[in-house]
Amino acid sequence: MTEKPYVIIVGGGKVGFYLAKHLIERDYELTLVEKDAARAEWIEHQLGSVSVMVGDGDEMSFLATTGIERAGVMVAATGDDEDNLIACQLAKAKFAVPRTIARVNNPVNVKVFAKLGIDVPVSATELLMGLIEAELSGSEMVRGVNVKASGASLVDVALPETSELVGKLVGDVALPGGDIIVCIVRRGEPVIPGPGVLIEARDELIVYSQTLDVEAVRESLAN
Amino acid sequence: MRARRVQSPPVNVIIVGCGRVGASLAQDLDAKGHKVTVIDERVSAFNRLGREFRGEMIVGTGIDESVLRRAGIEDADCFASVTNGDNRNIMAAQIAQTVFNVKRVITRIYDPIREEVYRDLGLETFCPTSMGAALITEYFTDGVNRAATTAAGESAAR
Repeated sequence: MTEKPYVIIVGGGKVGFYLAKHLIERDYELTLVEKDAARAEWIEHQLGSVSVMVGDGDEMSFLATTGIERAGVMVAATGDDEDNLIACQLAKAKFAVPRTIARVNNPVNVKVFAKLGIDVPVSATELLMGLIEAELSGSEMVRGVNVKASGASLVDVALPETSELVGKLVGDVALPGGDIIVCIVRRGEPVIPGPGVLIEARDELIVYSQTLDVEAVRESLAN
Repeated sequence: MRARRVQSPPVNVIIVGCGRVGASLAQDLDAKGHKVTVIDERVSAFNRLGREFRGEMIVGTGIDESVLRRAGIEDADCFASVTNGDNRNIMAAQIAQTVFNVKRVITRIYDPIREEVYRDLGLETFCPTSMGAALITEYFTDGVNRAATTAAGESAAR
């Protein structure tokens, strides 16, 4: 088993609190940073043996006291996008934290965060919207998953009959940007996309894409 | 005596934050004939602009791409973020610079340490805290109040 990284969580609201609880149960070493002293005390009381520090996660001098330079992951989970962005950027630029995860409150900011160097921007709203959309479109899959920090996504696309890909062999298809068809779901059954497989209308393609722009990939494939 | 400055061609400016600095900057640029758009979350903040102001006012947050688009950021030449929040200013400026490629972007950061970090990361910044401290130190040690002389010089030139 690989050694678990030391995790710093900024923000002891509902998200930060339950995340900390979850990670402690899985034996992670972590420090939770909360600026409100009373809230910090409450969290400490609830979670028992956890290191809760009172301070601002975007204050360099304070961050330096959290042992941040040996942290493997920084999670910024406050309710303010600007604070989450800056906490993660400081962690990365000044303390060389290898992975930064930021809670994104306004879903518009997911792409912005990715552009501004956050490894994993997570928007609960966006995830929910994706699930609801998938639910409504009759598909049983989540519409797209950003794959860790690699800057890649898994995108699923239900092909309309008008798609240019319909009627072509997988081997003859060159997706833009070197994207790869990983799997075809046909009438609920997975089909391995060998070069001789013919793409049919209403096939659901699962595509590995070297971009985080799930919507753009979907659009280019559906047309 | 300073020579009268040649009027520069009008620029398209977006200002985020209509506090004292934001509002007086907006009024200045507007009076000089530039195209000014001010963004603030509170409608009441626009009262500071006065009746003469001919620029645009957008209610919303400067850290939302769609609000910035509504303010016409795609055609902006200059961008200044001067809200009360350092982090909000930094984020707004980064969006302007990185996402929309605005040519001249400047942001106010009160915290000198944070200012240094973001200057190193490629933002154009200014820090009223260290500027104020430097001016006072200068006055105490050299007896010169540079802030006052600059302001007097400017009003004399008008």
